[in-house]
Amino acid sequence: MSGVTDERDSIDGDAAQRASGNSLATDARISFRRWLVKTSRNPYVTFTSLVQPVIFFVLMAEVLGAIAGGALAQSLSSDVTYVTYLTPAIIIQSALAAAAVSGIGLVDDMETGMFDKTLLSPMNRSAMFLGKALSEVVRITAQTGIIVGLGYLLLVLKPGATAAQYLQTGLPGILGIFVVTVIFGGVFMAYSNIVALLTRDREATVMIANLLTFPLLFISSAFLPLDVLPGWIQTVAVVNPITYGVDGIRALMLGQDVMTVFEVTAFGGLWNTVVPAIAVLVGFNILLGGAAVALLKRASRAEVQ
Amino acid sequence: MTLQQARHQSETEADSSERHTAIGAEDVHVTYDDGTAAVRGVSLDVKEGEFFGFLGPNGAGKTTTIKTLVTLLYPTQGAVRINGYDTKADPQAVRESIGYMAQETSIDFELTPRENLRVACRMYGVPREERADRIEELLDLVDLRDVADKRAETFSGGMQKRLDTATVLVHRPPVVFLDEPTTGLDPEARLRVWNYFEKINDQGTTVFLTTQYLEEANELCDRLAILQEGQITHTGTPAALKSAVGTETLTLALDDPSQENRRRARNIVRQRSALDTTAIERTADGLRIEADNARSATSDLFTELSAAGITITDFDIQSPTLDDVFLTLAGEKGEGKDSADSEPTSVQEVVR
Repeated sequence: MSGVTDERDSIDGDAAQRASGNSLATDARISFRRWLVKTSRNPYVTFTSLVQPVIFFVLMAEVLGAIAGGALAQSLSSDVTYVTYLTPAIIIQSALAAAAVSGIGLVDDMETGMFDKTLLSPMNRSAMFLGKALSEVVRITAQTGIIVGLGYLLLVLKPGATAAQYLQTGLPGILGIFVVTVIFGGVFMAYSNIVALLTRDREATVMIANLLTFPLLFISSAFLPLDVLPGWIQTVAVVNPITYGVDGIRALMLGQDVMTVFEVTAFGGLWNTVVPAIAVLVGFNILLGGAAVALLKRASRAEVQ
Repeated sequence: MTLQQARHQSETEADSSERHTAIGAEDVHVTYDDGTAAVRGVSLDVKEGEFFGFLGPNGAGKTTTIKTLVTLLYPTQGAVRINGYDTKADPQAVRESIGYMAQETSIDFELTPRENLRVACRMYGVPREERADRIEELLDLVDLRDVADKRAETFSGGMQKRLDTATVLVHRPPVVFLDEPTTGLDPEARLRVWNYFEKINDQGTTVFLTTQYLEEANELCDRLAILQEGQITHTGTPAALKSAVGTETLTLALDDPSQENRRRARNIVRQRSALDTTAIERTADGLRIEADNARSATSDLFTELSAAGITITDFDIQSPTLDDVFLTLAGEKGEGKDSADSEPTSVQEVVR
């Protein structure tokens, strides 16, 4: 605990009459720790949101990998293995699976009354949601790390394959991948919380999360280069956040500009993908995050609803 | 009840008027966006240290009222002051000085009691050096020390409710609000939580409790108010309320239900001044006695009857139920149609 909060705690002598206030950081940490403990209590949830992408990873690499060579050679270069190409998609899939259930915790808290209870505590409300979001960021980051490692293993263990093309940008690239993944996660965390706040229903939140995961992946640049896919998919992919998450990570892994939804040449090399990808994802965050915050404010406002 | 009536009430109670007002509501109205007027002019003056009961049938507006008192809702009209703080102007100060237990059990089921209490302590900024002691003290208060490190999701409803009780007390709030705390608990669990509430109240905490059970209000509360259709229709001590509502009924079955024996029994009942008998009726196998204090005076009566050689084979004591209370009050309300703004209330509406 920081010195500031300790001081504030001790200043408040009449704790019996009025509870003392915490700093914003302390409040965020209280909430963060609570949600982290809850996540660790439910290893099943983390496990499934990791297992599904991993199964997908192996199957897609085997099945699509057998035929994807030509498409990859056409849009990128013949050195790029399909595993390397697929890794960003799987990272995004696992981040999506984790982020899209973010609203469930909120609905649970509303159903059990924990939501009202926290609202009635002197805790800072923004800090309380920030803490929850941070615990999900930790989970997404951990899953991302595992998948990056797994992709490497798949390449190394496969006879005849080479890991030479895997992660061209080294350690800074990994950090970059974390950044893109977390920003991407924010979009769907916001989305899931919007659904949760609108429906106030656990089942609806779970179902919409599941419903979303698969189709969105296929109408993006996740599994194959967009230019070999039908025209309507190319069109939808432009407004699909997954395209930007996948392209951003893929550019960092391959060390080159991979974005095809629009052409940017101002930054040079891989930055021509990473910069616009992050910009678009931040835009989605502002849009959906703003809506989620507005709904959250409405839900926690002490007015007759 | 109008504000003037509320003031009058507090003036007449010399003892309580010397104490500060812990919960004050002045002509509070709460109207939802869809036009439902859930609370229609509620005034309250609950003194520090009081155990106050808020009684009413489902849908009377109890939860809406309590949510308005604890700053989860703001009054559409009127004002609420808790511990001297206005709920609308200074909600934060109100929140820091109260504990609120919602109708649903608001604990984190994935955490253990100790963890739940730890989170609650942190949320309320209980100084770190006091936390451990406070947590142990509360675990003892609600008898959960043995299971302090087991996850709450495995607990019975009563245990979960006890944990909930403890978590609202971490910051030692001077005022505690309990919204139907025993609804859904079995009788034994109910008795146990009653004990905790009494303990808290004995320590000086003002307790505001809503309930559907007359028995609960009678057992615990110093004073109570009855809420019907968003309005307080009655305020007073449980005893006053009960006498306004009706009497207890004692039914006796005699070993020898002959004319003679029943007459002897009836005479004994009549002569007993301790039993405030309002009516005696001879039944086929014994007596049916209506008395305000049948429950408390019954054992004395049995001693006297057996001294006179009258053997009782069976007995039953019935207290007025909440339904009786509401029906009686609804009847009074209907009769007093001319009294200003009170609207006639049909029995069907009340029973619903």
